[in-house]
Amino acid sequence: MPRRRSVLTTLLIVLPWTILLTIWHQNPATRYLTILRKETYENSSAKSLQFLINMTKIKEEQHTACTHQQEVTPAQQTARRYVYSRPPGWSRWLPTIYVITPTYTRPVQKAELTRLANTFLHVPNLHWIVVEDSPRRTNLVDSLLERSGLNFTHLNVESPKSVRIGLAKDSSHTPRGTLQRNLGLRWLRENLILSDSLEGVVYFADDDNTYSLELFEEMRSTQKVSVWPVAFVGGLRYEAPKVNTAGKVVGWKTVFDPNRPFAIDMAGFAINVRLVLKRPWANFQLSGVKGGYQETSLLKELVTIAELEPKAANCTKVLVWHTRTEKPTLVNEGRQGFTDLKVEV
Amino acid sequence: MKMKMKMKLKNVFMLYFLVSICGLMYALTQLGQPCDCTLHSRQSSDLVHSRDRTISRLQGELKRLQARGNPEGPPKPALPTIYTVTPTYTRLVQKAELTRLSQTLLHVPSLHWVVVEDSPVKTSLVSELLKRSGLPYTHLCTQTPKDFKLQEGDPNWLKPRGVEQRNLALQWLRENRGPSDEGVVYFADDDNTYSLRLFEEMRFTKRVSVWPVGLVGGVRFERPLVERGKVTGFYTAWKPNRPFPMDMAGFAVSLPLLLANPAARFHLSAQRGNLESSLLQALVSIEELEPRASNCTKVLVWHTRTEKPKMKQEDALILQGLGSDPSVEV
Repeated sequence: MPRRRSVLTTLLIVLPWTILLTIWHQNPATRYLTILRKETYENSSAKSLQFLINMTKIKEEQHTACTHQQEVTPAQQTARRYVYSRPPGWSRWLPTIYVITPTYTRPVQKAELTRLANTFLHVPNLHWIVVEDSPRRTNLVDSLLERSGLNFTHLNVESPKSVRIGLAKDSSHTPRGTLQRNLGLRWLRENLILSDSLEGVVYFADDDNTYSLELFEEMRSTQKVSVWPVAFVGGLRYEAPKVNTAGKVVGWKTVFDPNRPFAIDMAGFAINVRLVLKRPWANFQLSGVKGGYQETSLLKELVTIAELEPKAANCTKVLVWHTRTEKPTLVNEGRQGFTDLKVEV
Repeated sequence: MKMKMKMKLKNVFMLYFLVSICGLMYALTQLGQPCDCTLHSRQSSDLVHSRDRTISRLQGELKRLQARGNPEGPPKPALPTIYTVTPTYTRLVQKAELTRLSQTLLHVPSLHWVVVEDSPVKTSLVSELLKRSGLPYTHLCTQTPKDFKLQEGDPNWLKPRGVEQRNLALQWLRENRGPSDEGVVYFADDDNTYSLRLFEEMRFTKRVSVWPVGLVGGVRFERPLVERGKVTGFYTAWKPNRPFPMDMAGFAVSLPLLLANPAARFHLSAQRGNLESSLLQALVSIEELEPRASNCTKVLVWHTRTEKPKMKQEDALILQGLGSDPSVEV
């Protein structure tokens, strides 16, 4: 009897401490503290740099995406090691660029997001908000975002069938990606706190366009809404805002309906995040929008044409191209067993 | 006396259990909360931020140094250099394609970009882009002979493309690199998409390494078939009986192998789809191929193609003499 009691006692003594130790070991914040004590700056090879960067990223996510409480295990961390300089440092002094990218599943999706990520990895203080047009977040996008090393938020909302990209018969007049962009705006409004010290810019970047690195530095200083030229839209080499000698936007150099209030492409403007938060009713209109008026449906709630800030050397340089990727012909798929769905493309 | 001691011990134990259970409960509840650790993490966050500032500053300085025109790059790196050969030609999307390709290549250490224009002279668009890219580069140009040049309206597969340009790059490598130079040569077209992992897979190639390519040949992906670490065949639906039924983006050749075979080149006379074979036949046999990308099961490169932008309005304006400002480079 006394022996069993002593065994029980020993167990009860040891149990709480083992539980505490395992939890302590897994908590990322505490592991970071031990690393800090162990490794000095001289020792900081890519390994500790990666830890620092990952910790910054995780902290960001804990502030913002409360739904993603992920435990970072050692195995996951080593899998994230890359070869060269990885995500640019997060500086306290640079305004954050929140890039909202709607995306949908199709064969070229992984390729598009990969090369977009390669571009964004060069831009400091960038937060990528990827919104999938799907009922559930897909593993493809999820693992791509995890492996990229960027600061990201992964959302999803399914468009009603009539609007669904690829299924719409007359796709040029159906606002594509609208629900997804609005969800991105909603996420910002729910997760950022409006204050005078909040610095940031919101940019809508489609996954098939091409962006120069200079563009992101031009848009960072946006006070309300800034605009610039975009190549390969409206059947022209480029469309641009018309800027007078005083540096104010007075019109639009486009052929397609230049009398629109905002005759500009989605890739041709950026909005200060404080403005987005101050006007919570401002969203893209989903229904009843004429072709080419989607951008207007949002911008008219936010700013007047006189308040627009022209960038890119008074709108004379092209820093973003509205490229479109060909749909690959997959005619041989399904032929004689030529489909291996295990391989992700 | 003994009873009293026992009682005291029992109390001690009870107190201990109580305290530890309370502490555990508290810790468990704290774990689920959003991080309220500003107090003890402020020091660490300050450290992170100051390090990030240093990192940004150093990266900026590095870029500035790179851009200051040192085309041969920093002193001899320890890693074998990847010579990326990109043939290119003037068209509307050229600047966009080269811009986003350079953004990918900029992440890869020890990479030397060899850009060969299909043009009689080096254009300023490409020259400026290369100067600003921050990459070590070589800029060459050679014009495809008239008979082999695609005309307006020709389907893109009618004549082999980029042949003379790639051959010129091979010639440059033979003239400017010696037997002591380690490296690997990869033919990267300017409209494909490359993941960063691909370059690390190809870096240590002894002869010719191969891997799958996505979205090519009318299928989701083409790949070499690998058994016990050796290539035994090819999974491809289009013309599978070619000597090397692969896409240009699906292989890399080691520099020493190329230098040891000075006659190996791409042949303009090659039949449709046989361009890759026309080079590889002179270099290697199927048994000697080195499979990469997890025994050729992962797709790390995609054969994407970019649409030709519609210029309906531009053409209409040009007819009226109101074309867009040609000094604005697109």
